[in-house]
Amino acid sequence: MNARTALVTALEVLGWWAALTLLWLVLISTVDTLEWAVGTSAALVGAVTARAARRAVGAR
Amino acid sequence: MNGWTWTATIALGVGVGAAVWGVVTGPLRRRVVAQNLSSALAAPGLLLLAQGYGRPAYVDLALLLALLGPVGTLVFARLLADDLAGDPPRAWAVTLAVAGYGAVVVLVLCAVTGPGRAMVKLLVVGALLIGGNLVASRALSGGFPGSRRG
Repeated sequence: MNARTALVTALEVLGWWAALTLLWLVLISTVDTLEWAVGTSAALVGAVTARAARRAVGAR
Repeated sequence: MNGWTWTATIALGVGVGAAVWGVVTGPLRRRVVAQNLSSALAAPGLLLLAQGYGRPAYVDLALLLALLGPVGTLVFARLLADDLAGDPPRAWAVTLAVAGYGAVVVLVLCAVTGPGRAMVKLLVVGALLIGGNLVASRALSGGFPGSRRG
């Protein structure tokens, strides 16, 4: 993995992370610190998974 | 009972009743379409009930149904692809009518809710509901031939 690939990967994961965190914040009823912690953690896992899934589908 | 729950009761009774009737009778091409539309008919009913009972948490049920309904249809589309290939469903009028019903319910509820996170959530549910239903309908009609390579 060269520098450019690493940058593109990081940007994609960041994009997914931001979008999924936003989705989480929209779907919950009350926004507090615990929700932020759980939401951002879950969104990060989701972001990595989303990139892996997109690559798996794109590779067919 | 208020106006919301009355509307939801009628919509659920007529819509889901018709969908169940469509699933248990007729040729395969009609059954799969009715199965696909059943979730699209039930989810707006759940949204109306959430409004009627004043419990926003019930919106999550509609969200789940809007998410899982089309996924279930995609499974049917894949498993029944060989049977449906010779006699594919063509029911765009009904599909679009049900999508329009979902859109009307979501827009009315958005207008009642007012701007805010709750409204964005309703719009997300509506987008999942209508988008998922249209994609699943297209899959049933054999609209994604490349997907069989699996």
